[in-house]
Amino acid sequence: MTVKLENGNILLAGICPADDAEPLLRLVLNNRRAIVDWRACDEAHTAVIQILLAAKPELLGPPANPFLNRRIAPLIGDRRSGAHSSD
Amino acid sequence: MNEFLAQFLVESRELVEHATDDLLALEQVPDDRARLDSAFRGFHTLKGAAGIVEFTAMGRAVHAAEDLLEAVRSGEQPVTADLVSNCLACLDQVVRWLDAIDAEGALPIDAEAAAARLVARLASPAGPSLADARAASAAEDPDPPWAGRLRADTAGVVGARIAIRYTPSADCFFRGEDPLGLMSRLPGLLALEIRPLQPWPPLEELDPFAANLVIDALSSASSKEVADHLRPVSDQVRIYALRQDDDPVFPDRAAKVLKAQLALLSAPRGQEMAGRWASAGRVAANVLRHLGMEAEAAVIDAALARSLAAGDPAALLAALEATVNAAPAAAPREGGDDPGRIPSSPQDAIARALRVDIDRIDAIVNLTGELTVVKNALGHAAERARQGTDPEGLAQVLKQQHALLDRLTAELQRSVLAIRVLPLGHLFRRFSRPVRELARTLGKTLRLVIEGETTEADKAVVEALFEPLMHVLRNAVGHGVETAEQRRASGKPETAVIQLRGRRQGEHVVVEVADDGRGIDVVDVRRAAAARHLATTEALAALSDDAVVDLIFAPGFSTVGAVTDVSGRGVGMDAVRSAIERLGGRVAVKSRAGEGTTVRFVLPFTVMMTRVMTVEAAGQVFGVPFDAIVETLQLARDGIVAIGAAEAFVLRGRTVPLISLARALDADTTIATPSVANIVVIETGGQLAALEVDRFGERLDVMLKPMDGLLGGTTLVAGTTLLGDGRVLIVLDPLELLQ
Repeated sequence: MTVKLENGNILLAGICPADDAEPLLRLVLNNRRAIVDWRACDEAHTAVIQILLAAKPELLGPPANPFLNRRIAPLIGDRRSGAHSSD
Repeated sequence: MNEFLAQFLVESRELVEHATDDLLALEQVPDDRARLDSAFRGFHTLKGAAGIVEFTAMGRAVHAAEDLLEAVRSGEQPVTADLVSNCLACLDQVVRWLDAIDAEGALPIDAEAAAARLVARLASPAGPSLADARAASAAEDPDPPWAGRLRADTAGVVGARIAIRYTPSADCFFRGEDPLGLMSRLPGLLALEIRPLQPWPPLEELDPFAANLVIDALSSASSKEVADHLRPVSDQVRIYALRQDDDPVFPDRAAKVLKAQLALLSAPRGQEMAGRWASAGRVAANVLRHLGMEAEAAVIDAALARSLAAGDPAALLAALEATVNAAPAAAPREGGDDPGRIPSSPQDAIARALRVDIDRIDAIVNLTGELTVVKNALGHAAERARQGTDPEGLAQVLKQQHALLDRLTAELQRSVLAIRVLPLGHLFRRFSRPVRELARTLGKTLRLVIEGETTEADKAVVEALFEPLMHVLRNAVGHGVETAEQRRASGKPETAVIQLRGRRQGEHVVVEVADDGRGIDVVDVRRAAAARHLATTEALAALSDDAVVDLIFAPGFSTVGAVTDVSGRGVGMDAVRSAIERLGGRVAVKSRAGEGTTVRFVLPFTVMMTRVMTVEAAGQVFGVPFDAIVETLQLARDGIVAIGAAEAFVLRGRTVPLISLARALDADTTIATPSVANIVVIETGGQLAALEVDRFGERLDVMLKPMDGLLGGTTLVAGTTLLGDGRVLIVLDPLELLQ
C-alpha cells in the first residue's frame, strides 16, 4: 500500500497510482489535521496530486521526486520544499 | 530633428489627446457609436503617422489597440474598463515614445520590447473565440495573455518558445491518462501552473475519479517536439508559439547586467568595497530605469544610501536580490496600473507648439496690410511737409493718420494677444485621466462632467491653473466624494458627480469645481482651526459657517490627520489660494453638509505681466516698473550736489534731481550714507529723475494687483504682487514719486 496512516500522519510512499486517490481522499477527510508525509514519494499520479491540490494539507517534504518537489510542492504551499531547494 | 518628425510629434500628440477623450467618453457611454468610431479612427491615423516616419514598433502597438477597437465595433468585444485601460496604456506608451523623440530628435531604438509588451497586453483578454481566430491568422498572432502572466509569475524564466494549455477531460483518469506525469516529462519544461477548472468543491463532494484541472506550461523546446510529446492527448491541448523578441520581466542583457551586480556585491569584502557598492547600485538602478521600472530603481537607490550610511552592503544586496528574484511583481508597468500614484497626463509637459486658428492669423495679415497703407500715407504727408505749402491741411492729414494708426496698433495688440488665448478645454481635458485613475484607485464611482470648455483665457492663466485645479480635484475625489456604499446609505445616487465648469464673466474667467459629496464638516474645521491655533475658540465661535469653511485656505490648515498619497502632500489649500492670487485671481469655497462642495476660481481674462526691478531701501524691498528705468549707476557721493533741500547730480550734461527712496518713504534715515550711491535713473512723463537706493535687486515678471479697499487711496504705489516666497512686493509708481 502506497497510502497509509501512520502515527497520525498520512504517508505517501513509492509510486502512487491513480487508485490511491480515493483512499487518500478518505484519509484526509477523516484526519483533517493530519500531515501528509511525502518524503518517500517517488511518483504520484495526477489523480493523487489533484487531491493534494484540493485539500492543501500540511506537507512534510521534500518528496523524493524532483518534479513533485519543484513544480507541485509550491502550489500546495509546502514551505520546507519547493522551488528554492535544488532538484 | 527633421521636418517630418517634428510634424509627426505635433500631430501624434493631438491624436493621442483626442483618442484619450474618446476612450474616456466611451467608458461612460459604451454604446456611443460616434465616439467608438472616432477613437478607432484616432488609432488608425496614429498607425498611419507611425508608418510615415517608419516607426514600426509604434505602428504595431497601435495596430493592436486598433484591432481591439475593431473587435468592439464588430460586436465581438464589449467595452470594459479594462479594455479602456489597455487602450489608454497604449496611448501612454505612445506619449513616452513621443517624449523620447522630442528629447533625442530621433526614433527611440529600444521601442520593440515595449511594443511587444503592449501587443501582448492588448491581445483580446482571454476571449477564446477571438484568440482562436487570431491563432488561425498566423503571422501577427499575439501571445495568449495567460502565457505572459505565467511568464511574469515565474521568476527567471528565459527562453520560453512555446506556451501550452492542457485541459484534461474529466474522464481522463479512466482512460489511463496521467496529465501531470506527461507534463513532467515535457521537453524543455520551464514553468507550470495548475488550476482547478471549476472551483474546488468541499472535500466531501470531491470526486477523486474526475479530473478538474487546467495546466498551463511554458517550454523552451520547439513546437514540433512539444506537439509530438503531447500527441496522445492532442484533443485536450492547445499549443501556442510565443514571440521571441519579448521577455516581459527582464530582457536577457538587462538580467545579465543585474546578476553581475549581484555577484559583485556578494563577493568577499575588501577595502575598496564602498565605491564598488555605490557603482553596482547605480548601475542596477539605471538598468531598472532603462526598463521603465522607476519604482524599483528608487528602491535600489534608497537601499544604496542605507548601505553607504551603514558601511554594509547587506541592505543593497537584499534589495537587489529581491528585485531580481521577485521581478514578476515588479514587471514593467504600463502607466495607470500603479495604484496610489496619479499617472502624469500625456499633456503634462507644457505645449511647446501652439496651434492657432487660421482666422486669427488672417486678421493679423489684414492688419499688416492696413498698416502699410498708413505708412504710405505718412510718406506722402512728409512730402507735403517738405513743400510747406499747406500747413493746415498737413496737420489735418497727420491727425487723421494718427487716429488710424492708433486704431490699428490697438487692434494689432489685441490680435496678437488673442493668439495667446486658449480654450479652457485644453486644460480641462488633462484632468480626465488622473481623476479616472484616482477614482479607480480609491474604489469610488464618479463621473467628471466638464462644462464650458470653449471658454477662453490667456495662455498664461490656463497653464498656471493646472496645479491648483489638480489639487482641488484631488481633494474632491479623495475627500469630498463618498464611497458608493456611503452614498447609498445617505440616499444619494451611487455615482458621484464632479463638475468642472468654466465661463466668462465680464473681464473675468470663472472656473468651478463642484462635487456632490459630503461637504466640508464645519465642526471639524472649527476643531482643527482651534487645534492649530489659527484663531481663538471665541473668535471661531463668532465666525459664520461660511467664514469657517474659508479657513481651509489658511496656511498650515489640513483636516486630514494622516498624510495620504492622494492629497495632503504638505501643500494644502493655502498653496492653491496663493497660486491663484499670484495670477491676480480669487478663490472661494462654498459647502453644504451632505450636499457637496464648490470651489470657485475667479481669474482675470488676461494676465498683465509687468516687468519690474526690485530695489532695497530702508531694509525693505520695492519694485520699480522696468519700463520707467533708463539705467542704473553707482556714483561717488561727492558727485552729488545739494540744491536747496534737494539733491541732484549731472548725468551726461543734464542735471538730474536725486531722491533718496528711504527718505521719500519717510523711513529712518539715521543710517550712515555710504560713500558710493546706488542710483536708479528713471524717466517718466518725459522727465529724468533718479532714485537713490541701498541695493539693486533682480528682474521679475509680475502680475500687478492694484491697491484696493482700505489702501485704495495710497499714493506712490502702483500696485502689489506676491513674490514666489509669499512675501508682498510693493511696486512703486514713478510718476507719483516725482511729484
